[in-house]
Amino acid sequence: MAVDWLNPYHLQVASFVLINTLLGVSIYVTLATGQLSLGNAGFMSIGAYTTAILTTRHGFPMPAGIVAGSVVAALAGIAVGIPSLRLTGVYLAIATLGFGEVVRVVFVNWESLTGGAVGIAAIPQMGRELLASLRDAGFAPESIGLRGNQFISLSVFLILFASTLCAIGFFFRLGSSRVGRAYAAVRMDERAAEAAGIDTTYYKVLAFTQGAMLSGFAGALFAHATSYISPADFTYHRAVEILVFAVFGGSEHLLGPVFGAMLLTALPELLRSVSDYRYIVYGILLIAMMVFRPQGLIDPPLVNRLAGKKAAGGGSRDAA
Amino acid sequence: MLLDMRNVTMSFGGVTALRDVSFSVREGEILGLIGPNGAGKTTLFHVLTSMVSGASGDIVFRGERIEGLSTHRIIRRGVGRTFQNIRLFPRMTARENVMVGRHTRSRAGVWQSVLRTRAQRAEEDRIREKTDELLALVGLAGKEGSVASALPYGYQRRLEIARALACEPKLLLLDEPVAGMNESETREIHHLIRKVRDLGVTVILIEHDMSLVMQVCDRLVVLNFGEKIAEGTPEEIQNDPGVIVAYLGREEEGDDA
Ligand SMILES: Nc1ncnc2c1ncn2[C@@H]1O[C@H](COP(=O)(O)OP(=O)(O)OP(=O)(O)O)[C@@H](O)[C@H]1O
Ligand SMILES: [Mg+2]
Repeated sequence: MAVDWLNPYHLQVASFVLINTLLGVSIYVTLATGQLSLGNAGFMSIGAYTTAILTTRHGFPMPAGIVAGSVVAALAGIAVGIPSLRLTGVYLAIATLGFGEVVRVVFVNWESLTGGAVGIAAIPQMGRELLASLRDAGFAPESIGLRGNQFISLSVFLILFASTLCAIGFFFRLGSSRVGRAYAAVRMDERAAEAAGIDTTYYKVLAFTQGAMLSGFAGALFAHATSYISPADFTYHRAVEILVFAVFGGSEHLLGPVFGAMLLTALPELLRSVSDYRYIVYGILLIAMMVFRPQGLIDPPLVNRLAGKKAAGGGSRDAA
Repeated sequence: MLLDMRNVTMSFGGVTALRDVSFSVREGEILGLIGPNGAGKTTLFHVLTSMVSGASGDIVFRGERIEGLSTHRIIRRGVGRTFQNIRLFPRMTARENVMVGRHTRSRAGVWQSVLRTRAQRAEEDRIREKTDELLALVGLAGKEGSVASALPYGYQRRLEIARALACEPKLLLLDEPVAGMNESETREIHHLIRKVRDLGVTVILIEHDMSLVMQVCDRLVVLNFGEKIAEGTPEEIQNDPGVIVAYLGREEEGDDA
């Protein structure tokens, strides 16, 4: 077969890379207004559980479940974001981390709704659902040279890829707009931002809510990519992991956490021998970053340099 | 009257920074706010823009009470301000700083920004146009792309004025805009302040250098230990015995020390 190289396992790794990329963007969005939220693992679990419950028990179609998961996470974001306005820096980080743990404990104990520590299984898997409905319509993946499980993994990957691109595009455009400038102003100097006529409260809650919503969205996609979720997927390990994406990749440019998430998720999978020591490697990386490059791998000057070089290269090629 | 302050009082714990201060600002004038260190001048700007809480008294701006409104609402109603210790957005370029100042004069929200609607793009063009105009006005043409924190001190002061003007204020509050500047820079800034006034902006200017205050301002209000001790034209103030005592009294203290 022409596409034997299409390995479902690799596609699955790539799918997790994409979900973590979404989570990396989600922490960046909140940080864009200077708020460090470690609650995104909690919001992720809210999105995942919402759609899992709605699709398995209440017959919601998957897209509706994903939208509902994102919206419920966003509402939780408003509920957490407003009282957190008084907190900054480390205090906000601790409070939001606590929030995530509270959510997890609720999911563990509310067994009738969430299945407790066991979690929820048999969640509709997006690849399988897609294949089933395509088969109903008379399409066979074999006709394009794919085995069923290849087709399933590939479609999951493509759906996540499109979602991630949309999310990055969304926040990229937002960044270079009136709203993005307001975010940056709030991050750099809240008082000066107020003096420039910016409703800092509104933009802080907006950014917090957007981060929560994106986490919920990532969680909902996660639920439908794996078809099984449990509270163990959303421990503080996950929260710290998301933080590491931003610290390692850089939190001053959208591409920082994107790059951090991709590298730190893909590397341990590719170097299987290292993956047992994942958290040790994270720790060493963090310390190294703090010493040698506290702003993270990617920062705006670096992006500008790269973009400038590219533009210059293109120009000279045109001239030649 | 553009602005009326009536019986404004503000205390920080035991320190009364403003005591029963009342005065008015006429449309189109440059009002000098002077007084020795710690007289309460900056505090008055903070009270006017709701940047401190706990003040009492009435503040009427363009016929409406504004005391107790949040800062961004007061700015939106037409007040622009600078800070005694420059507060720019340090990692933004000069242009971006002023573009932020256009916030209240533009309206694109999240969806318009992301979808890049025609209205949003037109608005961004207008913001850039206005921004470049203002940067030229304050003498920063050619510096648009410089990062704010890397600009020389004098340019940072000008940039802060441009940002404050970007919201098209009716009233501009300048807190010691020439502090730390040499003579020629000072003259340029004062020239700029007059130019701004001629564009229809009323100005309240906090300033220490008496000779310059006398040249630039139409009227003066003098504060001392939080109280208004005099108000009038520069000539009247120059000959006011209370003012002379306030300033000389301080000098005597200095001599004793
Ligand atoms: N946030 C604050 N907390 C406590 N006291 C304050 C605060 N801000 C100002 N003060 C006090 O209020 C008084 C007035 O201060 P203010 O800064 O308004 O004076 P100023 O006239 O601007 O002086 P300068 O010419 O030195 O700038 C001073 O005694 C000052 O110590
Ligand atoms: Mg002062």
